[in-house]
Amino acid sequence: MKILIIEDEVALAQSIATYLKEQSYRCELAGTFGEALYKIALYEYDCILLDLMLPGGDGLRLLEELKRLNKQEGIIIISAKNSLEDKIQGLQIGADDYLAKPFHLSELSARLYSLIRRKQFGNSNLIQVNELQIDLLAKVVKVNAEIVNITKKEFDLLLFLIGNKNRVISKSALAEHLSGDMADMLDNYDFVYAHIKNLKRKLTEAGLPDYIKTAYGMGYKWEA
Amino acid sequence: MNQLLNKTLLYYAFFAIVLLLLSAPFFYSMMDRLYKDDVDEAILLRKKEFHQYNLPTLHQEDIKIWNKYNRDIWILPDTTTGAINRIQETVFLDTLQQEWEPYRVLFNPILIDKQPYILRIRINLVESEDLMKAVAKLYSGILVALLGVLFVLTRVISKRLWHPFYDTLAKIQKFNLEQQSVPVFHNTAINEFKALNAGLMKLINANLKVYQSQKEFTENAAHELQTPLAVFQSKLDLLLQHASLEEEQADIIISLYETASRLSRINKNLLLLAKLGNTQFQNRQDVDVRATIEEILPYFTEQAQQKDLKISACLTDQPLWVQANKGLLEIMVNNLFLNAVRHNVISGTISILIETNTLTFTNTGQTTPLREGLLYKRFAATSGHTQSSGLGLAIVYQICQLHNWQISYQFINQQHQFSITF
Repeated sequence: MKILIIEDEVALAQSIATYLKEQSYRCELAGTFGEALYKIALYEYDCILLDLMLPGGDGLRLLEELKRLNKQEGIIIISAKNSLEDKIQGLQIGADDYLAKPFHLSELSARLYSLIRRKQFGNSNLIQVNELQIDLLAKVVKVNAEIVNITKKEFDLLLFLIGNKNRVISKSALAEHLSGDMADMLDNYDFVYAHIKNLKRKLTEAGLPDYIKTAYGMGYKWEA
Repeated sequence: MNQLLNKTLLYYAFFAIVLLLLSAPFFYSMMDRLYKDDVDEAILLRKKEFHQYNLPTLHQEDIKIWNKYNRDIWILPDTTTGAINRIQETVFLDTLQQEWEPYRVLFNPILIDKQPYILRIRINLVESEDLMKAVAKLYSGILVALLGVLFVLTRVISKRLWHPFYDTLAKIQKFNLEQQSVPVFHNTAINEFKALNAGLMKLINANLKVYQSQKEFTENAAHELQTPLAVFQSKLDLLLQHASLEEEQADIIISLYETASRLSRINKNLLLLAKLGNTQFQNRQDVDVRATIEEILPYFTEQAQQKDLKISACLTDQPLWVQANKGLLEIMVNNLFLNAVRHNVISGTISILIETNTLTFTNTGQTTPLREGLLYKRFAATSGHTQSSGLGLAIVYQICQLHNWQISYQFINQQHQFSITF
């Protein structure tokens, strides 16, 4: 999988690249508007991470350019602008997702994961992980062809873990992911533990090996 | 009574009364003197007439008859010891009314048939008491008339004169820095009011400018902080991946995570506060408060489990529709709810009540009332709660202001109660 990271803050771009490389993505960086334009025109990517404020031009113009070139890449905007208008505008011009800074790398990775799957498989979207089969559209989880009855929150949690395979996900990232709009005001992450516990129990009861590991009390990891 | 118009009137009335009272004795003595001069002149005239017309033909045997038919001009034997040829004031008994009355009297020596006599001419003075009464009546008449005229004049003139002032006053009372609407003052020809309006305009514009630049600064600062925060957080995410982490290091990372979360929370709230007045939040729609509460109830119920809080929601059967910005209403309700959870005690209670057009959150918590003056101030959190951004209630307050809702805080039965009246 090839990812283009268009981000002028080098430290952030490198963090993203390092994290994603471990997930077996191949990452390229572009730090300016011109560089990004050049790379977009020359190469094909599976997904583009796009910062809106770039030296040399507005990220939204890159979006328009991609549309003009009729490119099919999935696009996730990563921006410090967090107003609803910016989001709507970005999504209208053709971005697939919008992530406001600061974000957790695990959140980015999970979104990237589901975006790429959405792009690749269209609507008949099945994910097979070892004995586990996930139907993204129907939101159904099967272990060895047996349906596991899990809640929406647990389903989200499972996808998030799988989207960050073999990576340690911090509790705060999980909590914020599960809280959605309410994330800004969160102050205790203990409810994450309850959800993880339930999910683990349901999966192991269905016959799945315990892939969800606790990492030094800081977070969790899907180890398979 | 402290109105400008009444004050003016009061002063006018006061000074008019003082002036009239002070001038009354003077006026009285002037009247008195004028009147006496007049009477004295009449006495002298009568003396002259007597000397000219009566004296030459008068004989001793006529005196009795003369005195019988004359009331005020008598001829007396020459035994008087009083001052001669000088008019003076004396009292005589009015035998009819048994009352002493003041008279001006002149004793004038005359010769009738070569015998000396005294001619006594007297004229009754109006009693000074009567004069005083007359003066008092006159004066109170003048006073009433004067005050009446003053009242009407002040009313009419002042109302017209002060109209620009009251107009300006009403406008600056309505002025709200956050709404950014500059008041337009009426044109006036009066220099003082012109200067007042100009001065106010200058003040308002300067204030708006400061407010604007403060807002921009907050917005920019918060905005610029987002990227470094993102870097910080991403590096933490990377650090977490190291397999060689020991527990001690892990603890440090956890607390760094917490700090990062708190930083970004403060930052987001600051940004929101700075942006609240912006146009993006100006669109209003009908939002159901009850539905908003019902929507977030499961989330907070989950959050409340850790503290074993009992949440009771007493919502109406009907939806409570308000004109609001949907996103802001949600933020406000979330903040109130979060507040009730965060500052609660273990096994405490939270109750949410909707009555007609009021939403009330009541919760247990610290056992002393919060200080209302500081409640809605930024970063003035009265509790030492580390997770609190110190901005939650400031945001709630601002959102209420923006929508013209009333927020009130009460400490009843050892419980904290926040009410929003829509």
